[in-house]
Amino acid sequence: MNTDPARTDAPDDWLERALAADAIEHRAVHVDDAGFAARVMGALPAPAPLTRWQRPIRWTLAGVAGAAIAAAVPGFAADVAREVFRAIAAQPVSLASVAIVLAAVGAATLGAAAFVLDRD
Amino acid sequence: MTDAELIARAVVGSERHAFAELVRRHQSSVRACLRRLTAGDHGLADDLAQETFVLAWKHLGSFRQDARFSTWLYRIATNCWLAHNRKRKEALLGDADSEVADGEASDEIPGSGATSDHARGSALKLDMERAMGCLSEAERAAIVQCYHNDLSHEEAAYVLGCPVGTVKTHVHRAKQKLKAALAAWAD
Repeated sequence: MNTDPARTDAPDDWLERALAADAIEHRAVHVDDAGFAARVMGALPAPAPLTRWQRPIRWTLAGVAGAAIAAAVPGFAADVAREVFRAIAAQPVSLASVAIVLAAVGAATLGAAAFVLDRD
Repeated sequence: MTDAELIARAVVGSERHAFAELVRRHQSSVRACLRRLTAGDHGLADDLAQETFVLAWKHLGSFRQDARFSTWLYRIATNCWLAHNRKRKEALLGDADSEVADGEASDEIPGSGATSDHARGSALKLDMERAMGCLSEAERAAIVQCYHNDLSHEEAAYVLGCPVGTVKTHVHRAKQKLKAALAAWAD
C-alpha cells in the first residue's frame, strides 16, 4: 500500500515519504536464521504417543484385515509363494549370490529403518 | 514446493520437515515484524516469534487458506505481542509511568547543509523509531502491518482482528501523532 500514488499529493507528503522509506528499508532486511528454525522445531510438542488401549486395538485391526484379505482370495497366497519358490529354485545358487542377496536385504532394511526414524 | 503443499504435508502427514521448511521461509519476516512491534527488542521478538510458530504448528489444521500463510502468521505474531503486553501491564500494575514511552522526537533538525543524505536518513530512522514509541499498541500495529508488512487495509484488519474502518482510524491517528512528533522533519 506504500506505492499508492494518491498519497504523494497529500499535504503531509513528507511523512508518507518517510514512512515509505522506512518500510522499504524494513522489507529489505533479511533476518539470518542463525539456528532459529532449529530452536522452533525443538520447541514443538512431541507427537502424541499411542495410549495403552490403542496399541492392542491397532494390532487386532491389522490382524483382522490380513485375515480378511487372505479369506477373500483363497489360494492366492499359496499360489504366490509357490511361484516365488519355483522362480528361485530355477536360478543357479552360489554362495556369492546368497551373500549379495543377504547384503542387499540388510542394506534395504537399514535404509528403511533410518528413513522411518528420521521421519519420526 | 508451495506453502500450500507444505501445509498439506504438515497437516495430513504430520511431517515436521515440511513445517521446518515453512519456518525457514517465513522466520525472517515474522521476526522483523515483531522487532518493529517490540521497538527493537530482538530477544523478546525472537521469543515471541518462537511462540508464534509453535502456535502455528498446533493450529495448522484450522488454517483455511482464506488468507496468505504469511498474513496468518502475522496475525498470530500480533496476538502473541498483545498478550505479552497485557501480561506485562498486569505485572506492572500501579507503576503507570513505566508504560509511558518517551515519544518526543529529537529537537535537533538534521539535514543541514553539512549533513549528508545518509546521515539524514539514519537520523530520521532513529527519530521514526522513537516516534513509533508514542503510538498506542493498536496504532503501532496498524502502521507496522500497513506500511512495513505492506498489507492492504483488509489484510491488516484480518491480522488485527478488527473492522477495516478501525484500521483506517488507527492509521490516521498514528500519522497525526507521527506528524507531530516528527514535525522538525517537515520540509
